[in-house]
Amino acid sequence: MQDNVQEKGSSVVRTVLGPVPAQDLGVVLIHETLLSVFPGAEYAPEINMDKSEIFELLKRQLTEFRRLGGKTIVDASGMFHGRDVELYRTLSRTTGVHIIASTGLGPEPMLSGYFTTPQKNPPSPWSAEQFSGLFTKEVIEGIVIPRVERSSSAGLVTSIATRSGITKVETGLFRGSAQTALATGVPVSIQYGADATGDLEILLGEGVAENRIIIGGLDRIDAVRRKEAFAVAKRGAYVAIDHVGWSSSEGFVNDGERAKLVAELFADGLGERVLISSNAIGVAKGHETKELGYDYLLTKFVPMIQDAGVTREQIRLLLEENPARVLTIDASADQKVTGWNFDWDKLYQPVIY
Amino acid sequence: MGKVNTVLGPIPTEDLGITAMHEHIGFGLPGCDLDTQWWKKPEEAFEVTLQKLRRFREHGGKTFVDCTGIGNGRDIEYFQVLSRRTGVNIVAVTGFVAADSALPYFRKQSVEYLTDLFVREVTVGIDGTDAKAGAIKVGVSRGGKLNELDKRIYRAAARASLITGAPIITHLCVDAQTSIDIFNEEGLPLNRVLFGHADDGGYLDENRDKLIAELGGWVGFDTIGYDSEVEGAPYWSRPRQDRVEHFLRFIEKGYLDRAVISADANCCALGWPGLKGHSVNYLFEEFLPDLMKAGVGEEVFEQLLVHTPAKILTMQEPVKPKSLSLKQLQV
Repeated sequence: MQDNVQEKGSSVVRTVLGPVPAQDLGVVLIHETLLSVFPGAEYAPEINMDKSEIFELLKRQLTEFRRLGGKTIVDASGMFHGRDVELYRTLSRTTGVHIIASTGLGPEPMLSGYFTTPQKNPPSPWSAEQFSGLFTKEVIEGIVIPRVERSSSAGLVTSIATRSGITKVETGLFRGSAQTALATGVPVSIQYGADATGDLEILLGEGVAENRIIIGGLDRIDAVRRKEAFAVAKRGAYVAIDHVGWSSSEGFVNDGERAKLVAELFADGLGERVLISSNAIGVAKGHETKELGYDYLLTKFVPMIQDAGVTREQIRLLLEENPARVLTIDASADQKVTGWNFDWDKLYQPVIY
Repeated sequence: MGKVNTVLGPIPTEDLGITAMHEHIGFGLPGCDLDTQWWKKPEEAFEVTLQKLRRFREHGGKTFVDCTGIGNGRDIEYFQVLSRRTGVNIVAVTGFVAADSALPYFRKQSVEYLTDLFVREVTVGIDGTDAKAGAIKVGVSRGGKLNELDKRIYRAAARASLITGAPIITHLCVDAQTSIDIFNEEGLPLNRVLFGHADDGGYLDENRDKLIAELGGWVGFDTIGYDSEVEGAPYWSRPRQDRVEHFLRFIEKGYLDRAVISADANCCALGWPGLKGHSVNYLFEEFLPDLMKAGVGEEVFEQLLVHTPAKILTMQEPVKPKSLSLKQLQV
C-alpha cells in the first residue's frame, strides 16, 4: 500500500473515490446536499435513520440525475450536518456519479458546544486558526468518520453566515475556511450573510485568490436588487446562482428573474464566473425541506435560460467548464494526501445508465 | 419495593451498595468527535476504563452513576458491556449536561417535547435499546446563570421526574434560586434533586449550600479530586484541603444526611485531556482518608456512599404534574 500519493501539479478534483481528472467531471451541480441531518437529530427517538432507506432514496435521485446527463454533484453541507462519506462512496460506485464532499462548519447556530463553549476559562469560541486547522486536515489527511478513521479528501471547504449579518464566530469560520483554501488549494464556497461583497472581502483578507472563491446565495432578492452578483464577478470571484427552483416566499427571486440574471451576467462579459445550482437536499432528517430534486435544474431551468437567450455553449460553460475550473485543485498550492490509498476503488465498475 | 434503572435493567434498591453518584465513563462536548486530537485506540480506552471500574469494585464500589447527557458521549451499549464485564452497576441518565452542550436539534424544542423525550428514555429506553435512564441530568450553562434553554430543560426535567419518579442530578448549583423556583412551580419536592458541584472552585457559596439543605435538597460535593495542586488541573479545581474543610463545615452544621460525595471523574475522557490520574477511586484512596484524619467515623461513610444514594436513586411513585398534557398521559 502506498503511504503517500503526491499529486502536485496534476489537474484533478478530489471526489469521495479519490482524485478525478478535471475534464472528466461533465455536468456539475456545485451546491447541493445529499444527506442532511439537523445536528443532534440522530439522537432523537422520533427520527428514523434507516440507512438502507436513505441509500435507496439518494440512489434513485442520483440515477435520474445521471440519466439526464448529470455527471458530478457537490455535497456542500460541510462536516457537521449529516455528511456520511462512506455512504457517498458507495453511492458514487453504484450510480457512476462523481461525488465531491466538503469540509467546513456554519452558520453559528448549527455549531456545537465543542466549538462555541470550550472547556476552558473563559469559554471563548474557536478562532479562525483553530477552524482552519480542523478543515485543512480534512483535505490533507481525509474526511473524519468520527472516532473511527479518516476517509478520502474533502474537495472544497464551505461555510454559511447568518442572513441578518455575519456574526463574530462566523467571521472566524470564513477566515478559517479561506486559510484552508489557501493552504490546500481547494476552493472555498460560502453562503453570504447580509453583505455579499463585504463577506467576500473577509475571505480575500486571508490572501486567498479571487478565483478560488465561490459566493453563494446571490439569487436572494436583496442580492439581486443590489446587483451583488455583478460586483462579485467583477472582483474576480465565482458567483453562485444556487437556488434554482426557489422563489420569493423563501427570499429568492423566481426562476424567470433568475434566468434573466444569468443572461445579463453573460451580456456583461462575466459568464466565466457564473455557476448555477439548486441547493436541493436528497434526504433530510430532523428538519423540513423543499420539494426539489437534482433533476429540476436540468429539465426545467436550462430550457428557461435558453429562452432568455443563453446559448448552448454558454450553458456548457455554466455547467461544465466553470465548475471544473473552480473545483480543480490549485496546482501551485503545496498539497499532498497522506495515509490513504485509492487504488482499490478501481476494482469497482460504476453502473452506467 | 424499591427499584433503580441500570443499563442492564432495573435492580432492587438494596442491591445498589456503595454508589458514586456523579461520574463519567467518558465525557466530551458534542463535536469533539470531529477532532482527531482526542481519538484514542478503542482497545486502550476499554482497558483503562476496565481498570478503573475494577479497582472501584475492589474498593467495594457497586454502582456507578454516569452523568453524561445526550450527545456528550453517552454510549449505552458500551456501558452495558462494561457493566457485564466488571460487575459494577451502571446507571445512565437522560437529559443534558447544560443547554450549551445540547445539540442544535434539541435547542429548538419545547418544554413538552423535552419532557416527552426524558420520560421516554426513563420508561421505554435510550437510543433504540431497552436500557432505561435512572436519573435526569440538567445543568447551568457557562456564565453562571440559567439561560432560557437551561430553564426549559429544568422545567421539562421537573415534569419528567414527577411522571417517572426518577431523580434529577444537576451540573452546578450556581443560580440555585432560579432552579428552585422552577421546581417549586412544577410541584417537584426538592428531595428529588441532587444539586451538584457545590464544591466547584468557581462557584462557592455556603449560604446556598445551607439553603438547599434546609429546603430538603441534596448538596453534591461531587467534583472531589479536582485539586489545584495537581498539574494540569482544570479551571473548576480548588485546593484539596479547602474542599475537605468546606465539606466538614457542612456536616458539622448537621447536614450529613443532605450531603453527597462523588468525583465527577472520567474513566477515559472524550473531548478534553481529563485530569491525569483522576478517577472515581480518589474517593476511597484520598478523600475518605482525609476525612478519617479529621476524625470522621465509618458510619458517616456508609451514610454518604450507601444510604443517601439509595434514597435519591429509588424511583418514586409517579405523580401527575400540575401541567400534564394529554400527549404525556399516553406515554
